[in-house]
Parts: sequence; structure tokens; C-alpha cells
Amino acid sequence: AGGDGGPPVEAAPGRAQVFATVVDTFLEKLVAAGSYQRFANCYRCFYKLQPEVTRSIYDQFVSQLQTSIKEEIQEVKDEGNLEVLFNSLDKIVEEAKNREEPAWRPSGIPEEDIRSAMVPYLLKHRSYLRKVLKEKEEENRKVAESVLAGRDRIAELQQLIQARKHAWQ
Amino acid sequence: MSVNPMAYEAQFFGFTPQTCMLRVYIAFQDYLFEMMLVVESVILKKLDGFPGCKISPFQIRKSTEKFLLFMKEHFDKLFSKMEEVLLQLVLNIPKNVVLPEDKVHEQYPYTKEQFQALQDEIRQLQQQYRAEASAGQALRAELEEQKAVQAELEKILQWFDGLDNICREHGTSNFKESFAFLTQNSKKLQDVLKDVEEKSKKIKKHDQLL
Repeated sequence: AGGDGGPPVEAAPGRAQVFATVVDTFLEKLVAAGSYQRFANCYRCFYKLQPEVTRSIYDQFVSQLQTSIKEEIQEVKDEGNLEVLFNSLDKIVEEAKNREEPAWRPSGIPEEDIRSAMVPYLLKHRSYLRKVLKEKEEENRKVAESVLAGRDRIAELQQLIQARKHAWQ
Repeated sequence: MSVNPMAYEAQFFGFTPQTCMLRVYIAFQDYLFEMMLVVESVILKKLDGFPGCKISPFQIRKSTEKFLLFMKEHFDKLFSKMEEVLLQLVLNIPKNVVLPEDKVHEQYPYTKEQFQALQDEIRQLQQQYRAEASAGQALRAELEEQKAVQAELEKILQWFDGLDNICREHGTSNFKESFAFLTQNSKKLQDVLKDVEEKSKKIKKHDQLL
């Protein structure tokens, strides 16, 4: 408690954390339910005969059960790459925290859903076409100017030639 | 009660959360049963070391069943609670969250008509571009033709200039005028010749008649 600026605010536990805690709690409570008392009570005759052995068997039972369960959980986490997915999902949820409206969900109709997926590509294509069209129009405008100038030049040459012709007649 | 298929979660995780829970449940349950069998067989083995005792395997089996039943009840209850928490808090995607790969659908909610309009616009732009491209080709073709024509015309001009230079070099500056005079005179001569021919024809005819 105390300190310079007070204790740091604890972030809400992430999914990975909750997952681990929930599994641990399950095991704890299960072992608590299957207590040694209960075990010895069920195996009363044997317990009376061999109390230390009963204790030893029980301990091994609990230990082995916990190990197997923890291993299974780890396998599920590894196979599904859950650690990474949990952290990733936590981030995604955090980013959407200020948003209240329900988000988009697949409609179940592929033709409908694919439209939006294609739109960004179409928009890119459209802006590309607009650009090259403009460039082409500009290019043609310049060439058209040259063509008109060329026609003028030819007319001019023809006139000069006519003038020379007349001079020789 | 409708079952939530958790399809969106399945899209993210690559498995359906409920399936995952089921797999885990079955695995845990199997371990529990396995452990109990091991416990039972160990106890039975220990009993073999006590030939005089009155405990029968049947009693041991009864004890095992009793303990297992008890464990199973608690196991089911505890697992059910765990499953609920996991499905609600861990293996779920809140309603207000859209996955990054689906962001486009919120950014570009195009209706069928809007989409069609966009496609039409693109088609039109493509046509316009094609038209501009062929117009450009035609213009460039004319430019090439013009070059050839200009070259020819300039050659002719040069030829005329050549003539002028020859005249100047040989000091006959009114060669042009005399040439022009000549061409006019030869034209006049031709006209006169024609006249004379016609007149002589008339005279001959007149003579014949006489």
C-alpha cells in the first residue's frame, strides 16, 4: 500500500489467466471433495488393516490425477495455440471496448458477405483506372496539339510552294 | 432453449468451444476412472500379501464403486461450473467485437445496388480508357504521316530554292522573268497557231466550194 503515486491499477485478468485459474480451482475443489477422510471411509476395512498404505495410495492417486489433468490441459493449449489466441482476443476485445452496438457477424450467405470483402479491391481498381485515364487524356491532348501544329505547318509549306510556282509562271 | 452454435468463436479459435469442452470432459473422466482402477488393483495386490485377512475383492470393488460414485457427482458439478465460466469469459467473442479479418464488412457495408454501381463505374472507366488509347494511336499515326508529307513538301521547296540559287550564281537574275515571259509567249504562239490552222482550214473549204 502507499508508495509514490499509489499502487498501479491492476488490469482485468486476461483470458489465459482466467483459464489457468478456473482449471486450478476445479482441481482444488475436486481434490477437496475427494478428501482422504472420504477415501479412507470408503475403503474402511483396508484402512483399518493398513492405514499407512491407504494414506500412501491416496496421495499417489491425488498426485497422479492432478498430473494427468494438468497435462491434458497443456496438450489442449498447445494443440490449439490457445495462449497466443487468448492474448490476441484480449487485445481485440480491448480495442472494441468503447463500442456498444453489436458488431457484424457472418450472414450465412456467402454472396452477400463477399461483396464487402471485394469492395476495397474494386475501389483500388477504380482509382487506378481514373489515374491512367487522366494520364492518357493528358497525353492525347499533347499529341493532338502536335497534330494540329503539323497540319498548320503542312498548309504553310503548301502555300510557300504555290507562291514559288506562281513566281515561275 | 436454443443452442448457441458459437460459429464466430469457431472461426477464431479453429474449433467449437463446446467440442473442446466435451473433449476435455471425456479425457478428465477417463483419467478419473483409470486412477480408480489403479487404486483398486494396488489395494488388491496388497491384500494378496495378507493371506489371513477377511477382506474379499468383492468388498474392495464395492468400496471403489462408492468412492467413484461420490467423485463422479462432484466431478460433474465442478466441471459444469468450469465449463460455464470458460464458455462465457474465455472461449467467447463479445457481441460488440468484430474480428480483424472481418473489419472490411463494417468499413464497406455496400448494398447490392451500391456494389453494382461500383462495378458499372469500373466497366465504364475501362471503356473510356480503351477509347482514349485508340484515339491516341490514331493521333500518333497521323503524326507519322505528317512527318512524311512535310519531308516531301520541304524537298520541293528546297528544289525551288535550288533553282533560285542557280539563277543567282549565273547572274541571270531576271531568268525567272524571261522564263515566265517565255512560257507566256509559247502559250500565245500556241493560240496563234491554233488560229492559223482554223483559218487555213476555212480557206481550203472555201477553195473547194469554189
